[in-house]
Amino acid sequence: MVLTRRFFLHRGALAVAGTAALPNFLVRSVLAEAEGAPGQRLVVIFQRGAADGLNVVVPYREKNYYAMRPTIAIPQKQVIDLDGFFGLHPSLTPFKPLYDQGHLAIVHAAGSPDMSRSHFDAQDYMESGTPGIKNTSDGWLNRALQAEDACHRMGHDEEHTAFRALALGAEVPLTLAGKISAIALNNVNGFTVAGRGPAPSPAAEAFEAMYADSGDRIFHAAGDETFEAVKMLRAADPAQYAPAAGANYPNSEFGASMRQIAQLLKANLGVEAAFTDVTGWDTHVNQGGVNGQLANRLSDFSASLAAFWRDLGDQAENVTLATMSEFGRTAHENGTGGTDHGHANAMFVLGGQVKGGKVYGRWPGLGNAQLNQGRDLALTTDYRAVLGELVTRTLGAENLEMVFPGARLQREQFLWLV
Amino acid sequence: MDSLRGALAVVLCLNLCMPAAAAGPAPTANSAAASRPSYSSPELQGDARILHALDRFTFGPRPGDVEAVRAMGLEAWFERQLHPANIDEADLDARLAQYPAMQWSVEDLLLRIPSNAIVRQAMKGRIEIPRRGALHAVYEDAIYRLQARQAEKKEKNAGASASPAAPAGEGTTMIGARGMSEDPGAEGNPGMAMGANPVAGMDANSGGVASAAAPVPDDPQAMALAAQMDALDDDPASDAILGLTPEQRVLKLEAMRPAEFEDFLKSLRPAQRAKLTADMVPALREAVDDLENPERLVVQELMAERLTRDIYSNAQLQEVMTDFWLNHFNIYLRKNEQMPYYLVSFERDAVRPRALGKFEDLLEAVAHSPAMLLYLDNAESVGPDSLAAERAKMAAWRRPAKQRQDPPGINENYARELMELHTLGVNGGYTQADVIQVARVLTGWTVDRPQFGGGYVFNPNRHEPGTKKVLGKKIKGNGEMEGRELLHMLATRPATAHFLSRELAERFVSDNPPQSIVDRMAKTYMASGGDISTVLTTLFRSPEFWSKDAYRAKVKTPIEFVVSAVRASDANVENYMPLVNAVRAMGMPLYECIPPSGYRWDAATWVSTGALVDRMNFALNLSANRLPGITVQWQPQTADTTAADEGIPTAQSEEARLEPLLLPGGASATTRAAALDEFARQSAQESAAMRPVLAGRPMLRANSRQAVLARERQDQLLAGLLIGSPDFQRR
Repeated sequence: MVLTRRFFLHRGALAVAGTAALPNFLVRSVLAEAEGAPGQRLVVIFQRGAADGLNVVVPYREKNYYAMRPTIAIPQKQVIDLDGFFGLHPSLTPFKPLYDQGHLAIVHAAGSPDMSRSHFDAQDYMESGTPGIKNTSDGWLNRALQAEDACHRMGHDEEHTAFRALALGAEVPLTLAGKISAIALNNVNGFTVAGRGPAPSPAAEAFEAMYADSGDRIFHAAGDETFEAVKMLRAADPAQYAPAAGANYPNSEFGASMRQIAQLLKANLGVEAAFTDVTGWDTHVNQGGVNGQLANRLSDFSASLAAFWRDLGDQAENVTLATMSEFGRTAHENGTGGTDHGHANAMFVLGGQVKGGKVYGRWPGLGNAQLNQGRDLALTTDYRAVLGELVTRTLGAENLEMVFPGARLQREQFLWLV
Repeated sequence: MDSLRGALAVVLCLNLCMPAAAAGPAPTANSAAASRPSYSSPELQGDARILHALDRFTFGPRPGDVEAVRAMGLEAWFERQLHPANIDEADLDARLAQYPAMQWSVEDLLLRIPSNAIVRQAMKGRIEIPRRGALHAVYEDAIYRLQARQAEKKEKNAGASASPAAPAGEGTTMIGARGMSEDPGAEGNPGMAMGANPVAGMDANSGGVASAAAPVPDDPQAMALAAQMDALDDDPASDAILGLTPEQRVLKLEAMRPAEFEDFLKSLRPAQRAKLTADMVPALREAVDDLENPERLVVQELMAERLTRDIYSNAQLQEVMTDFWLNHFNIYLRKNEQMPYYLVSFERDAVRPRALGKFEDLLEAVAHSPAMLLYLDNAESVGPDSLAAERAKMAAWRRPAKQRQDPPGINENYARELMELHTLGVNGGYTQADVIQVARVLTGWTVDRPQFGGGYVFNPNRHEPGTKKVLGKKIKGNGEMEGRELLHMLATRPATAHFLSRELAERFVSDNPPQSIVDRMAKTYMASGGDISTVLTTLFRSPEFWSKDAYRAKVKTPIEFVVSAVRASDANVENYMPLVNAVRAMGMPLYECIPPSGYRWDAATWVSTGALVDRMNFALNLSANRLPGITVQWQPQTADTTAADEGIPTAQSEEARLEPLLLPGGASATTRAAALDEFARQSAQESAAMRPVLAGRPMLRANSRQAVLARERQDQLLAGLLIGSPDFQRR
């Protein structure tokens, strides 16, 4: 199969120009005219385990912050100042230039309005996009792609590739589950059946026929997707890939995931929405302050994302990345040098179209009376308002009720960060 | 995926089960089936019932299992499975004898196969290093490696500080990257480093290392050349050691200085390393592995023992339920450096003996297990008004302000998961206030000297005094007994009965089991005092279980797929690491599910594009003997004359022989056709290749060596296609 770049066909010629030929400033001004500008891709990172937002983006002017966290607070002198009130954890050094250049925005006191403190419920709610409703079987990002299709139904080539919705990992996460089939893969180079030769092996062809003809609907569909994806990837020749100069991914699982997402984005395989997750945030015990467990996680996190940004080069113009975590952690540190399950958190939004260099969202304060249930950072921005804006402004999904049913999102709730 | 989920209930594989039902012997009037009234949804009949039971209550049928159950009677077979003590396990026991260390106490394991935490203690002089003998060498070698790694780390950090792109200490501290909360004291750690691939260098999962099946070259020149190459590679020193008797070899290795031993190990090619321990009795092999990497030895044996039981145990229901409870009470292997050691005991002493008993006993055993108390942090929880907290406050005030630490306090982690995941379920009617109260009840439930493998201990000094109120019920201040009262209360709540019954029905019936069967099981749970065997018996006697809607409705999880493939192939496994790596690649690493929720059982989780690729590749590698240390044999092991008598096997005859072994329920017509097409093509190539050899002979000698090898290769492909087929992905 020839790699058709159908992705470009249905997106129009502008995207080709935007990714390669035109100077960035020109692309930016052209794209700014239309919502859901062509060729925009959305990358979503889920920090599983509930990251401690108060030690990630530190409200270092809050006196009570230091009172509540006697052993784990980040001292004023050691935060990376952002705006005179908030500062980044010192392990987030690679984020500072991105913030200064206006590519990185932060939304603080954001998250899911549901009060669940269960990791599993809260992750499911956040991924399904329906906080409080248990039985949603598909994810918000899948529905966003469906909503995008609804907008493009007239007059466009509707073909998409098997890589349209991509998860780096062994399985499709709930965020990407739904009517539009998503592909999950662990390792780009291992993604081939019965050998890595330039042509499909006889066994692969036998399997392809077997799944194509199968009366088992589940495996018939999965087989179709699998063999299309395998062929496309073979054509793209992933073994030849090397990250851009200066893109130094950490030697970690998350680093490997981000490297491969960049690789697949750059290979023009038609990726529109990509997802991966990063674990290790559930710091109940000895989470540390400037150094320690959380600091190590953040080093990996920021170095991976900074390398990803660098690796994308000019294509960064067309990529928007958002991070989230199921909830924040308690404002007080607990009795074991850690923090327990809390409520609001900080989100990062990184991208070529992002109006960065700013901490968005209303700050609720950390006074004892200002805390949620007397223990956590209160929530002032529904994460769906942030994501709703992103899917509207990047993917061009207009029907937000379809993406986040029941949320009744209004454009007035947008923070206008893209 | 949405449409896929919906399809689960719809796709009934009628085309798959019909041939079996039609072709099988006339419904042998199974006694249970005959006496049961008819239900609106058609019930399975005859051999389909046996297959269904084998699919659900075992890790998949082995060749001959259907016949064995038919001979015994399905009811009698199930009854026997409920009483594993009466089941003969001679084969399994012989295989388990490979892992003598798995019988030791946690303290012994930690001392004799030291974790890195223990080695660091020894380095600091906090524990005494054995003066001489095997253990002396184990500690010396481990300390040497740890020191070398620390030096390397220091050097790397010094270099890294100049380059901002590389986070400090990345190479080592990130090793446990997937951990929910890692040991803060953990430094570079080879056992952990193996996390990504616990058997680097021992496995060739991707194929290509078919050394076992490599044909011997019959060209004498080539053989001479190969011998020369070997001679060039060979180090006479390592040859000398490999030439010793096993006992002498171990003594020699123990006598080496650490640096010498490390160099020796590095000088070995993988085949030589395998040879080093290949002829040793298990205890000696363990001794060598202990010298090389103690923690890896524990992790590998833990995983190997689990898979050995899953594959070879005749008490399959006990193993299926052990797997079920290990997932229900999930614990993450790399929470800290002691966890692999504690997991050995958790599985062996707490879970397996109670897998078919009373749930309350199991819950108690888990609540008292150091593994769970450490995994969910209860071991660290201290009542805010307890004696320990008061003392800590006093001590803090005596210190200068700068060194002052917050007094230890309560940790809610276990309390929440105990209700949400272990008993009531997330909708079980508890609140955040209940979580805090339960955490207070359980203060003081901790572990005695966890770094040395100590057991459960109740520490009254940490226990929060006073009356607690959980789910509206008062629990009077009564120390450790409060916790027992709480566990009894949780184990006997109707919400727990329903939550567990639904989870069991999802595992045994379908992703969305009918409410009627869940309710019936929950009723049995309440009536039987939470007896798991009785609840399973209710499931076994429920029409919903035997309905055609349930037949092959479940998609195999990666563990179920891998284990069932090995069982169906009747493979002999001597090295479990390729299987460990396979389930890891498919997204279900053993003991490495990080969140306490465990893995899901549903199709939507496990049917994805990437996973299918892994399943197909595993099937082809397994069937073609490309997994080192795992052998399958597709040609029948009969005297060589019969093959000649029967003539040349055709594609049809080979398929007809292999299909019932691998898919006793019958393959779908499409699967069979695709496999046969490929088989015919391969056969044509093989016979074309063999023609010069056979030219001039009056008759094709079907039992010639070449012909047997060619047939074996064809069978390998055919078997691989059947195992990788859509049909084999269901149970």
